[in-house]
Order: sequence, then C-alpha cells, then structure tokens
Amino acid sequence: MTAQDVMVVSGTEPRNERALRRQARGEQGRLVALSVPAFFLVGALVLVPMGWLFWLSVYGSDGFTVENYTRLLHPAYKETLITTFELAFLVTGLCVLLGFPVAYMASQLGPRWASLVMLCVLFPFWTSLLVRTYAWLVLLQRRGVINSWLMDMGLIDTPLKLVHNFTGTTIGMVHIMLPFLVLPLYASMRTIDMDLMKAAANLGASPVRAFWGIYVPQTLSGLGAGVILVFVLSLGFYVTPALLGGGRVMMWAMQIERSMAVYGDWGAASALGVVLLVMTLGILWVLRRLTGASAGSGGH
Amino acid sequence: MKSSMTDAGATSVGPAAHAPDTEHSLPISVQSLVKSYGAFRALDNVSIDIRSGEFMTLLGPSGSGKTTLLMVLAGFVRPDSGSVTFGEREILLLPPHKRDIGMVFQNYALFPHMTVAENLAYPLKLRRAGKAEIRDRVERALDLVQLSGLGGRGIHELSGGQRQRVALARAVIFEPRILLMDEPLSALDKNLREQMQIEVRRLHEQLGITTVYVTHDQREALTMSDRIAVINDGRIQQVDEPRDLYEKPSTYFVANFIGETYSLPVEVSGSSVMLFGQPIKTPAPPEHGDRHQALILRPENLHVFEAEPDPGMNSMAGTVRQHVFQGDSIVTYLTVAGDREIAVRRQHRSDETLPAPGS
Amino acid sequence: MSVKRKIITATAIGALASVTTGPAFAQEAITIASWGGAYQEAQRKAWFDIVEEELGIEVLEDTTSGAADVRVQVASGSPTWDLVQQGNYTCALLEKEGNVEPLSPEVLAVPGIPDSMKGDGWIGNLVYGAVLAYSDEAYPDEKPDSWVDFWDTETFPGPRSLRRSPVYNLEAALLADGVPVDELYPLDVDRALDKLREIKDDVMVWWSSGAQSAQILQDREVDMAMVWNGRAQSIADEGAPVSITFDEQVVLSDCWIIPKGAKNKDLAMKAIEVMSRPEVQARIALFINYGPANLDAFDTGVIPEDVAMGLPSHPDNAAKGFVLDAKYWAENLDRLTQEFDFFIQE
Repeated sequence: MTAQDVMVVSGTEPRNERALRRQARGEQGRLVALSVPAFFLVGALVLVPMGWLFWLSVYGSDGFTVENYTRLLHPAYKETLITTFELAFLVTGLCVLLGFPVAYMASQLGPRWASLVMLCVLFPFWTSLLVRTYAWLVLLQRRGVINSWLMDMGLIDTPLKLVHNFTGTTIGMVHIMLPFLVLPLYASMRTIDMDLMKAAANLGASPVRAFWGIYVPQTLSGLGAGVILVFVLSLGFYVTPALLGGGRVMMWAMQIERSMAVYGDWGAASALGVVLLVMTLGILWVLRRLTGASAGSGGH
Repeated sequence: MKSSMTDAGATSVGPAAHAPDTEHSLPISVQSLVKSYGAFRALDNVSIDIRSGEFMTLLGPSGSGKTTLLMVLAGFVRPDSGSVTFGEREILLLPPHKRDIGMVFQNYALFPHMTVAENLAYPLKLRRAGKAEIRDRVERALDLVQLSGLGGRGIHELSGGQRQRVALARAVIFEPRILLMDEPLSALDKNLREQMQIEVRRLHEQLGITTVYVTHDQREALTMSDRIAVINDGRIQQVDEPRDLYEKPSTYFVANFIGETYSLPVEVSGSSVMLFGQPIKTPAPPEHGDRHQALILRPENLHVFEAEPDPGMNSMAGTVRQHVFQGDSIVTYLTVAGDREIAVRRQHRSDETLPAPGS
Repeated sequence: MSVKRKIITATAIGALASVTTGPAFAQEAITIASWGGAYQEAQRKAWFDIVEEELGIEVLEDTTSGAADVRVQVASGSPTWDLVQQGNYTCALLEKEGNVEPLSPEVLAVPGIPDSMKGDGWIGNLVYGAVLAYSDEAYPDEKPDSWVDFWDTETFPGPRSLRRSPVYNLEAALLADGVPVDELYPLDVDRALDKLREIKDDVMVWWSSGAQSAQILQDREVDMAMVWNGRAQSIADEGAPVSITFDEQVVLSDCWIIPKGAKNKDLAMKAIEVMSRPEVQARIALFINYGPANLDAFDTGVIPEDVAMGLPSHPDNAAKGFVLDAKYWAENLDRLTQEFDFFIQE
C-alpha cells in the first residue's frame, strides 16, 4: 500500500466524488434516451405533417404561390368561417349552460348516484355518432316526435323548424359535445373543498354570492379545459352539420373535404387546413389569457 | 342579558377571568338539543351555557358529538329539536350567513383563488365596508396575527402556521361576537401546535370574544380553556375548569379520558373502600353506594419504594417490569395483584438509581 | 393452436394469389374498381362475366369511393387499377386533369352511345336521372311534372329538397325560368341563382347523400324533391307513396376511365369495348334499376318492355329530358361550387 492510497482512504479528498458524478450523468443520459421516442413521435406525427401541410399550401406545380390563399377571399369562405366559429361558440356556450348544473349535481351526490349520473352523461359516447344524429332526425323533423306531440297537444298549428338548419345542428352537436365539457368540469368540482362554501356562508355570504364568488372561480380550470375541448372539436365538426344542417350549415371541414374529394386540390385543402389551424390557435391563445387572468385575479 | 346566564356548576371563575364585555362578546345558551342520524344519537338532549367572553372547549373522542354541536352553532347542521340563543336572540332558525359568527375550520378553508388580503377583505366586502376601511382593517388584522406585509401572498405560498394565522384573522376581522374553532391546530406539527395554542389564547384575551373550541386533544384543552365540556356519546359528561376536571372527574369516562390513568377494582361498603382486601383512605367518601367501583390512579401521584413505606400512606406491593426514560421524567411500569398493570411517573434526576426490573 | 392454423391458411391463399397473377401463368387479368355493393354485383353478372368469357382473361375487382382514389393512384406512378367506374362529370374532370388514358378509336366508335355521354378519355356505361319526385299524399289530385311546377309554391305548397350542389340545380332553375333546353349551356349562372333564390326558403333540405334524399321523402320531411331516380324508385317499391316523373329529367351517366399509366390498359380498352356493345349493355337492366348508356340496347329485345319503361335512358324517357353537359361542369365545377356555397349561406 502506497502513501497515496492511504491519503485517499483517509478522506482528505472527497470520497467517491468521480463515481457519483458519473452515476448522475448516466441517470441523466438514460432520461434523455427515454424521451427520444417521444420526440420522434411528436416530430413524425405532428411537426412533419404540419410542415408538409404548410408546404403544400404555398408550393404548387408552378413554384411558390399564394393562389391557394387568395382564393379563400371569395365571400363563400368568409361565410363558412363565420358559420364555423359561430356554431363552435354557440355549442360551447350551451354546453357550459347545460353541463355546469349536471357536473355540479354529480359532484354533490354520493358516489353511487354520482356514477349513475356520469353513466348517463357518458352513455352517448358508446353509441355511434351516426346513430345519434339520425335519432335526432326522428325527434326533430317536420313529422317527428316532438312536432307531432306539440301539434297533438294543440300548442302549435304548423310544425316548428327544428332540424335541417342551424338550430338542429346546434342541438345535435351540443348533445355530442356535452360529455367533453362535463368530464373535466366534474373532475375539478370533485376536488373542491366544500368547507370553502361553509366558510363563505360563515363569513356572511348568501348561497348565491358564495356560489359565484367562491365556488365558480374554483371550477375555472376544469371549465377552461372543457371549453377548449368542446370549442376545438366543434370547429372541426363534419358529420352532424352535414346531416342535421339541411345543407345550409357549411363548416370549414366540409370545405376541406370538398377540396380534396371533389377537386383533388391538395393545395387548396392545405390552405384551408392552415387557416383553421391558425385561427384555432389564435382563439386558444385568447381563451387562455382570459381564463388565466380571471383565475389569477378572481378577487379584484 | 346577564340574567339569562346560569351557573353551570362551576365553583370558581376561570384563570383568565375578565369582565364580560357585551360589546365584543355574547353568551351562548344551548338547551335540550337533539340530533339523530337514523338510530344514532349524535346529540342526546344537550344543554350547556357558555358565558360571555369565555373560552369554552368541547372535548371528546371522535364521534362523540362535539363537532356536531359546533356545526349546530354555526348553522351547518340542522338539529331535530332544541334551542340555541346568542345573548337573547334565538338563532337556530337563522341561515349560517346571517348568524354573524366567526369560524376557524379544521383545514382552514382559505379561498385558494384569493390572496391573503383578499381573503381577509371578503367578509368586509360582504358587509359593504368602504375601500379605505377595508384596507385599514386588513392591515390591522395582519398585524394582530403577526403577518404584516404578507397581504399580497397567495394562499399556496404560505406555510401551515401562516395559513392558520390567516384563518384566525379572517374569522375575527369582521368583529363577530362569537368565535367557533373546529380542531384548528390538528394539522400542525407538535412544536408549531404548542406555539399556536399560546397565540390563540393571546388573541382570545386581546379580543375578549366568546370562543367555542373543539378538540380531541386533552392536553390542548387543558392548556387553553377557561372551561372544558367533556362530551361522549352525544351527552355532556362534565363541564368544569381544567384543574377541577383533572382532579375531580365526576364520571369514570372523564377520569379515563383526561390524563393518563390506571383503574383498579375496589369494593365499597358504607364509607369504607377495600383494595385487594386492604382498606384504603380516600379524600372524600364514595358518592354512591355501588359495591363494585373503580379506583383511579394517576402515575404522577404514585411513588415507588423499595422498602416498606410509612403505614399512614396508601400502599400496595408490586413487581417492577420496566423503566421508560422520557427525557424530563421516568415511567416505571409495575404489576400489582398478579396481573394488573399500573405506572408510576417521577421527575428524572441523573443521580438516582432505579430498582431493577423483576424486584 | 387455432391461431396457428389460420396463419397457415392465410399464407397458402396469399401464395396462390401471387401465382395466379404471376407472369408464368398463361391467363391474363385486369382489375376493375367500381362502387361495390349491389351495384358492382350487378355489373359482375351483367358485364364482367361476359368480359372474362369473351377475352379469356380474369377480371379482378376492387372498390373506389371517388376521384380522389384515382388521383392518388396516378400520382403514385403505378396505378393498380386498370379500369375505374366514376360518376358523370368526374370522368370529364379527371380527363381535364390529365389523369386518364385516351380511349382507342374502336371504343369510341361503338354505336349507340350518344356523344354527350363520352369524351376523349371516358365513356358512359350506366344511365340514371335526376328527376322530380313528390309525395302522392301531399298532391293527391294535380301532379307536378315540370320545374315550373317545382317553383310554383302556390299550386304545390310544401317543403322541397334539392341537392347540395350547383350541378343540375342551375339547369332546373333555368328551365323553370323559361330557358329552352337547347339553350341551357353555357349556363346563365346569375339568372339561375336568382331563380333559385325565389324558392330558397321553401327548400327545407339541401341533401348531400342519396340515402338522405330517400329518407326525407320517405318520412315526408319534404313533399317534393329532385333526386336520383333509383333512390325514389326503391322507396316507392317498398310502398312509400312517392312518385317520380321523367319529364324534364336530367340524364346522367356513370362512366369508365382508364387511369393514366395503367399496366393493362390495352386489355382494359378491349374490356370497355365489350361492355359497351348494345347486347351486353342491355343486360345491366336485368340486375339493377339503372339503364344502359347505349341506347341501341333497347332494340336488342333483352330488356322486357315493362322494365324498360322505368329506366331513365329508355328513348321515350330520355326524350323528355336532357343530358347533363359533363364537359361544361368539369370546366366550371370549382368556380360554380363557390358561387353556390355563397348563395346557400347568404
């Protein structure tokens, strides 16, 4: 044994320092390696297709072109864009109005009843979209269940126009979208400490004030998630507006489909896709700022 | 108002006796309160009078009904029958938000979407206080709980103790005349808990507010209260000052629940009490004539002698099993009369030698 | 155990299939893609069997859902289909895009198929009509039999339906506005849209699929509609009180195209020639409710008279209407669809 060995063992230098650092580096390396598949997945499934989409929209057979975008200046596209966002906003708003009480009720019930309510909310998920949409036709059309019933009751003389228009599309879409709002909202409501409501009452807040001032702000994160889900999904809707809209409700997705299937125009379809993507991201950004701001400054 | 106060059997006023301040506090009178959940009686004909400005602790094991009683006072539990008056006003039919009482919740129930200052301002805003007044009172409340300068913090940025202080400040900022506290310190660690006990007590003395405090921790109850109401099975067992409760428990339950105790069976005939066939001296004659009763022993009142003690003292023979060192004291576990275990606590002195186990 | 056996069977079939199409095998084959279902089964019985017999080749089948499939195959450089069925103006559209092989003079010279049903790279094979269909319950006495009647909401009140496309709506509107049939093309689009605007509020549904058009007639969601004759006929056959008129019908034809660069295009060309002959064309009416594109087929005696009278391409019926100008639509579809979309949403 040399003198140097003794010194190391005696601890005048930090012991195992090198080996420990090597271990830490190894661990880091393994973590990075683990995330590599995720990077590739995101790259291959999101970034590459989106880049390709954008490329197709600006590069035609004659080189670079903005033609695919200028053709969108036709008023028909403007109308479609307005309809699409109008419908998405309306559906989202109605889902909030209908979904909030449902989620609230479910969150206040005991576990057995709550799961029953949630079962009812989720039930539409297990039925085909087409079946549900056709079922609405049976209910809403001119000689459908609702109109026949109202006429038999003598409440109306001529059938109400409930379907093959904006109204019918909205009804059908709200029905399909409701679970997407209720689920995250319910999840956030479940975690709300109901003692907060007691505290509010104790401090002098009437039930109504406590609800708006204390309860609702706690639901904003879940509500925000639900709203964004419903809104984004609604923007891309196709089947329901096509079947319940009577051909009047033209959605952006229908324009994309038509560009592809009828004209085979990848450039036009890509441009439509890019525009929808940009608009959606824009709206999301605004929504984020709105809900983020209100969550942070609820009391001001 | 004072005429409605009844003496609940205590013979003296508590240690923190001060003149009842009717401007800042109100007496509470609970009469014949009954609350059943199915066959279970959470409150079984409960009556209790709490004096104006008093610090009253409701003490009992979990499920005893102490929290139910507090919740009835707060208005969150609707009883089957009975009466609760604050001062002369019957409040049982009022909704919680009209009762004007402060409350500190077990988990603090601070509003997470508001800052500390916003939490404190909330009850003032509900009472339509002006902006300047709110700012002023929030400032003073923060001072009161020694959190000056933290008004802008979010609730999530606070430590447990700080949250506790905010909850306290919020409960009293609107100057309620009654304060309810539901096991407010149970979430804190031991050191902080003891510190906060003093803090709460200090606040009480400063504000003079009638306080009803619920806990299952007897040490906490003994430390803080003017009087303690021991509750079990939905019934009030005994209402007394801490000292009396400790020294003169009126029921077997109270005796067992308060402090560390060991009980030994005794036979009573007339005024004589027999322990394992030996007569013993008692400070007072037995209160009732049942033949089989229990002798309650507290470890700190017993002594271990290796030699035969003074014949004037009550004594019995036993075998030392084990010594347990607890820092400031040493507990010696013994067996008496074959299989009965008792314990003896004594101050720890380093020069002392202990009887060996088995002797 | 059973899983293993399945895999072995599948492999065996795969091997067999590759042998059948392999060059070492004497028999040649072509692949035809059509709409599938009952439609393609009828084509198999009426035409493909004859082709196999006549040319001594094998006809392999696939299904297509429209022009997009053809574009993708052509773009890939080696189409797997040799012959593809498409809907009327889509053939002309694909030809315009340069996605089809020009047809041989022999094919285009087959007598009996009107010039309006063929182009340089496509030829009609099946005829159907966009016809006026109406509810007999809604109109028990006087029946509508023209586009003027369709526009006449006084005499014939009730909700209507049109296809959600400018194709043949513009034609119907111009006819209703008094434009003679032979002056329809090129379409006066503004005039047609103005006319459509008149009944816009009475059009309850702009249908987008054949199934939907049948459903709304059957459920009496609408009382009058312009639909494909086969759809209206099938619900009428099921007992729905729905009638159709061939008066002023828009005669439409489905058609064959050979994708650009198809491997067996010469064989495919021969197959088209066989299937276009009057006596072969006629057979289709025996298996499905569509008419032959070759009008000479009605002279072959193959189609029973009562069946023939129900077909849109029967000379009597065809004479009542006009043939859609597929070339016009191939040229103008994109622009007019935009105009029409705007009209619908305005």
